[in-house]
Amino acid sequence: MKQLLVFILFASLFCWLMFSPVYKHVIVLRQALLQQETDYMLEVGASGRYGYIDGAMIAASRARLSAYGFRPALLEYEVTTTSGLPGTDPGMPLERGSGLRLIIRYPYDNLMNIDRLIGVEPPPVTARLAAAGMKMSEYVP
Amino acid sequence: MHKLVFGFLMVVVWWLLHAMQLEEESALGILHEGKRAIDRAAHAAAQQLDKSKLETGILSIDPAAARAAAIAYLAGNLRLEANLAPQAGQWLDSAPEIVEFAVINELHSFPYTYRNAAYDYEVTLRRPGVVLIVHIACPRIFGVMEPIEWDLKGAAELTLS
Repeated sequence: MKQLLVFILFASLFCWLMFSPVYKHVIVLRQALLQQETDYMLEVGASGRYGYIDGAMIAASRARLSAYGFRPALLEYEVTTTSGLPGTDPGMPLERGSGLRLIIRYPYDNLMNIDRLIGVEPPPVTARLAAAGMKMSEYVP
Repeated sequence: MHKLVFGFLMVVVWWLLHAMQLEEESALGILHEGKRAIDRAAHAAAQQLDKSKLETGILSIDPAAARAAAIAYLAGNLRLEANLAPQAGQWLDSAPEIVEFAVINELHSFPYTYRNAAYDYEVTLRRPGVVLIVHIACPRIFGVMEPIEWDLKGAAELTLS
């Protein structure tokens, strides 16, 4: 009887101890995949051939990431530049010397909800996993 | 009773293991992020052509502009203030230190092999380029691990399209 009581008292803790590493692992992997995608897009976008990250590249990136299980509609892309140009227009590529910034965001997808078992509040619904980078364009007109 | 005590001890051990795993993961993440930032900083520094020398047909890197670009891109990629001071609530809690910043210019004959015995680094450049070595201390959340510090190294060449 006493053992049963102890088990019930500790059940949520045991559940957390057993299952939270799996959820954390998914978050770590998703973060790494987002970062890898950011690096790739910056490498291509800031190369001497392009100097921009346009809608077609972003669509291709969504397709690549959806192969890993991301839901394409939830991925958010933010392209900014140090020169003030939009950076998404193939007609106005960034010239050598200006930086191209890319941030890719994805929701946590309730993966942190398991932390409620030990009384830790998960991040708010608006919080996002994010991978970011800034690279200098090599494009010369 | 002793089972209860044993249970508590196991929980403590599990928590420690979790904390250590989280910390190791975040340290590896910061290591990779740092390496990327240093590569991008070296790349940006290596694009700073000296325009007055370019007019006479010499490809050369402007060392002052290169250093400024390297610092700007380090700050941008590591989420630091413009003077490399740490920002509150971001990854790093101490400023990275640029321990080596070498601009390899047209005075050398190419291919040039840069060697740095102090930091055990060697790179061969085919064009003028920049070598950057930055010392980064990894922040620890729980303090389970020993302090970790890295000398991250990167090099980039002047790109010509």
